[in-house]
Order: sequence, then C-alpha cells, then structure tokens
Amino acid sequence: MAAMGNVLHTFREWSLRHRKAVLAVLVILTLAYPYVVRSYWLSLAIEVLVFAIFAMSLDLLLGYTGLSSFGHAAFFGLGAYLLAYLTSTSELAWGITDNLLITLPAVMLGTALVAMLIGLFALRTSGIYFLMITLAAAQMLFSIAIRWSSVTGGSDGLVGVPRPVIGIGPLAVTIASREGFYYLVLALFLASWWLLRRIADSPFGWALRGIRENEQRMLALGYNTFRYKMGAFVISGAFAGLAGLLLAHFFWHAAPENLYWTTSGQVLIMVIIGGAGTLNGPILGAALMRLLPNFASSYTDRWQTVMGLVFILFVLFAPQGIIGLLRARRKEGE
Amino acid sequence: MSQKSSSQLTRRQFLKVAGVTAAGLAATPLLSACRSVASGPVKIGVLLPYSDIYAVLGESITDAMRMYFEEVGNEAGGRQIELITEDTEITPDVAQQKARKLVEQDEVDLVAGVVSSGVLMALRDYFDSSKKLLICANAGANPISRSLKTPYIWRTSFTNWQPNWPVGTWAAENVGKRAYISVPDYAAGENTITAFTNSFEAAGGEVIGVQRTPFPNMGDPAPFIAELADAAPDLVYAFYSGGAAVTFVKAYGEFGLAGKIPLMSSGFMVEEDVLPAEGEAALGVFSGLHWALLLDNPENKAFTAAYKERTGRDANVFAVQGYDTARVIVEMLNRVEGDTSDVQKMIDALPGISFDSPRGPFKMDAKTQNPSQHIYLREVQEVDGELHNVVIEDLGEITDPGDDSLG
Amino acid sequence: METFIIQFLNGLVFSMLLFVMAAGLSLIFGQMNVINLSHGAFYLLGGYIGLSMVRQFENFWLSLFLAPLLVAGLGLLIEYFLLRRMYGAHRHLDQVLLTFGLALIAADLIRWNWGAYVESVDPPPQLAGQVAVFDIQFPLYRLSLIGFGLLLALALWLLIGRTRLGAIIRAGVSDAQMVSGLGINIQLVFAGVFALGTALAALAGVIGAPVLNLYPGLDFEILILTLVVVVVGGLGTLKGAFLGSLLIGMADTFGKALWPQFALFFIFAVMAVILLIRPSGLAGLKGT
Repeated sequence: MAAMGNVLHTFREWSLRHRKAVLAVLVILTLAYPYVVRSYWLSLAIEVLVFAIFAMSLDLLLGYTGLSSFGHAAFFGLGAYLLAYLTSTSELAWGITDNLLITLPAVMLGTALVAMLIGLFALRTSGIYFLMITLAAAQMLFSIAIRWSSVTGGSDGLVGVPRPVIGIGPLAVTIASREGFYYLVLALFLASWWLLRRIADSPFGWALRGIRENEQRMLALGYNTFRYKMGAFVISGAFAGLAGLLLAHFFWHAAPENLYWTTSGQVLIMVIIGGAGTLNGPILGAALMRLLPNFASSYTDRWQTVMGLVFILFVLFAPQGIIGLLRARRKEGE
Repeated sequence: MSQKSSSQLTRRQFLKVAGVTAAGLAATPLLSACRSVASGPVKIGVLLPYSDIYAVLGESITDAMRMYFEEVGNEAGGRQIELITEDTEITPDVAQQKARKLVEQDEVDLVAGVVSSGVLMALRDYFDSSKKLLICANAGANPISRSLKTPYIWRTSFTNWQPNWPVGTWAAENVGKRAYISVPDYAAGENTITAFTNSFEAAGGEVIGVQRTPFPNMGDPAPFIAELADAAPDLVYAFYSGGAAVTFVKAYGEFGLAGKIPLMSSGFMVEEDVLPAEGEAALGVFSGLHWALLLDNPENKAFTAAYKERTGRDANVFAVQGYDTARVIVEMLNRVEGDTSDVQKMIDALPGISFDSPRGPFKMDAKTQNPSQHIYLREVQEVDGELHNVVIEDLGEITDPGDDSLG
Repeated sequence: METFIIQFLNGLVFSMLLFVMAAGLSLIFGQMNVINLSHGAFYLLGGYIGLSMVRQFENFWLSLFLAPLLVAGLGLLIEYFLLRRMYGAHRHLDQVLLTFGLALIAADLIRWNWGAYVESVDPPPQLAGQVAVFDIQFPLYRLSLIGFGLLLALALWLLIGRTRLGAIIRAGVSDAQMVSGLGINIQLVFAGVFALGTALAALAGVIGAPVLNLYPGLDFEILILTLVVVVVGGLGTLKGAFLGSLLIGMADTFGKALWPQFALFFIFAVMAVILLIRPSGLAGLKGT
C-alpha cells in the first residue's frame, strides 16, 4: 500500500506541475478510449461508469447526510424496470417510446416520486432501523418483481429493451453502437458528477453535512432536518434511477437482481471502500468492485475469498477508503 | 473554497481517468496479438456456473465435455480444440459480462454452456446481435425455441416442456385423476404447470390445485407440505432442483406423505446429483426425463463407466448433456471441415445431426433448434443397496411443438 | 381447523429455530452495538461442522456440543484480532465492511471444503419418528425443536436476568461506559458476549440442519431473516428476540400457507409496519 501510494504521489506531483499538458492528454484519452481499446474493455468501462453514477448517488445520502441505506437498489432497479416498461418490445411492456429525451426525465421523475413515498416512512427512523426499513422497501419491490410474473416478467425480468434514441423528429439518432453508447454514458456520468458536486458544495449540501455531524444541533439552529433529509433521499434516488436506466439499455433487459439486497450491498461497499462523503471516492470504489471480481475470477476459483480479504485489508489499513489513502499520501508529501 | 476547485478538477480527472487509462494501457499489448482464424485451434468458450448453488451442474457439464473431446483426440475438422471456461455465477449481468469477454476478448469461435433459464434469456439478445453461435447445454427456457427463437442459439438439452408433457398422460392413465402441482415460482415452474396440465387434463385428469413456492429460497417447506396433505390429491406433481429438491422431498417423507400420496416430478427433482441427500424419502418417486443412469443401451453403459472412473461420482443428466454438446460441436466442425470463419456455415451444419447418445437416439430438430429425444418414465428404486432411477417405460420420441399450443 | 393447528405447529417450530439464531445476534447488536453481517456464516459453519462430526462420530449430540464450542473459539479470535478495533456507532460502516468480508471468505472456504452439493443431516435416531397429529404424521424432531427453543429461552433468561454476569451484560447494553467505570473489564465482557453470540448461531446451524439442510447461499438467507427478527423484536433484549421470532415465524408460515406468492413481501411488510408503529421494535430499548 505504501509503495503504491508513493508511486501515485510522485505521479501526481509531476502531473500537477505540468497541469495543462496532462489534462489535455487525459481528455484525449478519455474521448479516444473506444478506439484505443478492445470492445470488451469498452464494455467494462461502460459498466464502471454506470455503477459510478449509482455509487455517487448513494454517497450523497450516506457520505454527506449520514443515512446508511441498505436498500438503494430499490431505485436502481426501479429505474431499470421503468425504462424497460417504456421502451421494451416485449408484450408485457407498454413500449411507448425509446426516445431518451422523454424516458430520461420520466424515469428520474418516477424514481424520485417513489423515493418520496418511501422516504415519508423511512426517514422517521435512523441508524440501524433506517438500514432495515430501506432493506425492507427494496425487498418488497424485489418480491413484487420476481413474483408478479404476468406483469413484471418474473424471474426472467423484462427483456427486449432496445438501445436509446435521441432527438426530435428528423433529427433523431439511434445510439446503436457500443462506442456511441459509451459517449452517451460518459456524458451523463460527467453531468451527474457535476450536478452532484454542485449540490454537495451548495448551502443545501453543507446543511446535509451538518445533519450528519449533529442533527440535534441543526434542529436547534432552526433547520427542518426532515425536509433536508427528504431532499437528499429524493435526489439520490433519482440519480440511482438514472443509473438503472442506463444499465437496462446496456444489457437489453431489467432483472429482479437489480432490486436484490446484494446489489444494495455492493453499492454500499463501493461507497465505503472508495471513501464516503467525497463523491470521487465512490467512483473508484465502483471501478474496483466491478473490475476486481472480473479479473480475479479468471485467475482463481477462490476469487470471493480474494474479495473478502480486500475488504478486510481496507478496513484495517485504509478506513477512509481509497480517497483516504491518496489524501494521506499527499499530506505526508507536503 | 474556490481555490480548491481547480486542483479538485485536476485531481478528479486524474483519478477517474487514471483508472480508465490504466485499463486501456493494459489492453494495448493485446491489440497487437492478431490471430489467424483458420489454422489455429478452435476456441470454444464455456459459460457455466462454477460457484454458488449450480456449481455441481457446471462441473458435471465441463467434466463430460472434456471427456468427449479427449475421446476424439481433442481434434475436429482438422483442428485442435481448446476450451476457455468462465464462471457465470447465476447473475444474468455477470453472465453477459463474461460472454462479452469470451466473444470479444478471447475471440472464441463459438460458445457452449448456460445452466439457468434466466441467464439464457438475458443472453439471447447479445448472441443474436453479435451473431455468435451458442450451444446451450442445459437451460430449458421455452421461449428460446418458440417466440424468441434466434438462429444463433441451439440446444442439446431440452425445453422445459419436454420432460413434463408426456408424463401427464402417463400419470392420468397409471396413477390417478386428481393432481396437485407444486413448483417454485419462476419461469421454469410455470412451464412445468402448463405442460403437465395440458396432457393430464386431455387424458381425463383434473388439476385440483397449484402451489407456487418462493423462488429461489423456499425456506421451511412445512407449510406447503401441510397444504398438500390437507388437499389429499391422488398424486402430487412437483418440480424442484438443487437444494429446494432435497428440502421438499425430505420434508415430504418426514411428514409421512411418502408412500401415502404418490409423488411424481420432472426428473430433475430426483436426479443423481440430489438423490443421495434425499435418501429414503425419494423411494418410489416417478419422474420423467430424457435420460436415466441405468438406461440400458451400449453408449450409456460406456459413458457412465467412463464418467465414474474419471470423476469418482455417478453421472447425471447434466453430464450427459455436456457430453452430447461436445459431440454436436465435433460433428458440426467435421461437417464444415474446421471452417469457423462463417457462422452461417456452422449453423447450416447443425440441423440433421443425429447419433446414438447415452440418452438414446439424439436428433437435432431444425424447427425448434432443440433435440428430438425419448422421454423415459423412471421410478426411484433400490438397486444393489443404492437408490437410483430405473426406467419403467419409454414414453417415445418427443419433439417440442415450437409454439405454446401444447402448454 | 385441523390445518390451522398443523400450520400453527409449523409456525412454532420455525419460530423456535429463528429464536436460537436471533438470540445471539440480538445480544451482539444490543450489547456491543456492532453490526454483524457474518452471523449467517457462523450458522452455516456450525451446521457443516456438525455434519462432519455426525459423519465421523455418528453422534448427533456430540456435535450439538462441540460445534458451537469450535465456532465460539473462532469468534473469540475474530473479536480479539479484528473486531475489537472498531467498536462504536460511528464505526458501523467499518463493521459492515469487515463482517461482510469475513462472511464472503467463510462462504467461499466452506464451499471449497465441503463442496457445493446440498447436504442433508438426519435427526438423531432418538428423535427420528413421527407423532400423529390429526391426519398428519408430524415429525418428532420438529416438535422437539419447540421444546429445545423454550428450554434455551429459559436458560438464557435465567442467565441474563438472574445472574451477576447477566446484570453486567444488561447494564452494558444500556451504558457501556458506566459499566467500565465500575471497574469491570468491559473488553472481557464484550469478548464473552461475542463468543456466546457466535456459539448460539452455530448451535442453530446444528439443530437447523435436519430441517433446512445445508448449501452454499443458506448463510445469507439466514442472515437476512435473522436481521429482520432482531430488528422487529427490538435490539438488545431477549424478550425482543423471542417476540420477534414468534411474529416472523408465524408470519412466514401463514404467509406461505395463505398467500404463497407474496409470502416474501408479507414478511418485509410486517417488519416495515412494526417499525413504523414502534420504531424501537416490539420490545426494544428506546434510544438503542
């Protein structure tokens, strides 16, 4: 860990000095990525970006507001299913439109509404009880999705989701290729990051941090903490829904697993390992959690033991997550 | 605060793209590896679960595939055969990721495998759009041979309809006229209900009740067994596999229903992989399946002996499917003389492949892209001190109708 | 009516099994304020060790005694080397990460050692028969589970409620600092409680094996169910664990009997409703 930190530290020192050049190279690499790597790596990158949006959304709730949710997959899966209903050619779906200009706001709005409903009940609790109520909410949605086969497709999920179309009338373009989809996801990822950053650094965001530190004090200062928590819950739910939308488009289906508690657990781990409350940390956490099992399972059958060991090592030596590791190195260097 | 934002932007970009760039840089050496298609070995991607509850199925299929390939000297169509295995677990999204790795990263010539129907359904669009051939070695989802058929997916296993439909008629004629169905609440369970009901009622029977139990976790089966006892049907028709099969069958015995109300099922519930754990409670269970361990034909005798010697365990239906998958691939490769560059050529070579398999006569049906095969009525009996499935009747050659007309 | 009684018995059996699982977790949550996601792994480990012992020694009762001891030993090691560094509500996320990592490793190693096949354990010969209840033959072993659960509840109640050690534990649930201030080695108490909790989980695994069997994945199924029971019942009290087990055990059984398609939904709906009416659970301590 120390050696890795040192290497990154030196790299950063150097890159900070040649800031503009490095920035230019990075931007070019990111934009040229699909043409530099093989299709499979492109696939992985898209997955990482989608889960990064998902993880960032949870970070707003967990890292900034201090609300540990064990049911965030509810909004992720809901986003996927809503998108599937709107676009799929399956007989179970409504199949209204595959135009992103309509589906994106519709899905985010729908997820936000459900978040508000759930939040009305869940936000009355805190701590472990909040954890369990959010779990319950997600599991209830999961059980509906997997049991009500005549409506939701049951265990098979909703298949037949097409790739999205953007534009109006004659200017509509189908994002059919994987490269095109990469740029779409990249753009939405950057937009989400920017928006969430703005929210986190706004007075609203600072109020959230205040609630995380000491809710009683915020109440005493006259803040209606319930409203702030609800705001965080709804916004994080909406962005999780966006991530779900993108996943459904990418894999051509929405599945009950998207709602299952293991997905909630996975994104929770992404935030914790990446570094809660930093927004950047969860991005790295998402990359780690999507890429590591993939590689490890190609080399060893014991890849789950590897994952478990990684978690434990992080807890023991890097409790602030990956971001914490990098920050500590920087502090030492100064 | 504002001073931080520019360095934060640099740092953020740095962090984010570092990951992506690292991935890209790691992939660059692979760009240079440009393998020719015709002369190197035939690369077969194997997509199976090697962890979680279906691991046994994945291992059985893989062992049997390797066994067959070795029997033909690991060669077909003039080229060597190479297997690249990937673990799908049972998550459809992971399975898609691994499928992409096999097809795009490893550039396999074709893919074999897939255990669970959910995974198969999730992969259907991928294989259809990437025009890559998938030989499915297990998953029985009906739509893949019916409404969601694609030229790129062919099966050597069964449709969920096949082992259930002929048993309905036999049950009505030989066991009783009032049946209660118990299945897990997912697609394969639904397929079981419709297939069995169709022929059972056509033969004069009546399905007096259906119980759909929680999937994938049934938990404590006692409430369901009590319901069955209370209904007192002439027979119970069930479909469970893996852990749920053991749980259900054992509880059936514990509550004294075994021997009192005849239990019938689709063969998976009492297959060789779960029979030892089920123990005496499974004695006398009738089931329908396209194979049985003690099926009496020369190919099966040779196969089961070889499999036992290789793995130390009794063969099971999944192993047979793996074995036949390997054979179908070899026959196909021989027909195209090793030319895997044109997927259409490979597809055209598949219909009409027929041979004597351990399961009896195997014929690849062109319409449903699924085997036409015999379904056997088996009974769990004690043979030389062990429990096994004994064939008591051959229900004839059964071919999937290709639509939902028969359930 | 008869079916109702049968189902009621089924519900009791399942409730008692849940209670044995939940008692340990409730103590760990309540006393140490530690989120333990590896509870299911200890259950499964106990069950598999029991399985091996039954095969080796052909004695169910021996495994009933030994397996929990072995697992408790493992629990002590984990508590001493790993968990001890992260007590406190502000370290909840660390506990999640740690125990989840442990659970993953345990699950993988269990699968590696015992294989992925479903294993079943036969009840001991003394309890292998059936008792006629109306028209149905009710397995004797299941009935004995009801008795076992009640006995355990009594034993734990005596321990927690009537002994000095129990008083310390109860005080620790309310205010660990105060207990420590009284000169009692709170670290030792924590270690003991954790060991007891894991031993109970393993015990549940051994007695549950003849009913639920053993297979990879069971650990997480048990974990979720136990979490629900503990939270519904209320953290930190034995009474809560008992009430929670009864409620969820009955809800599960009757849910399956009456609305099999939505039994899962029903359990979580019950939990949500309880938490909304009584945010600390049925018998939980306020402020936990």
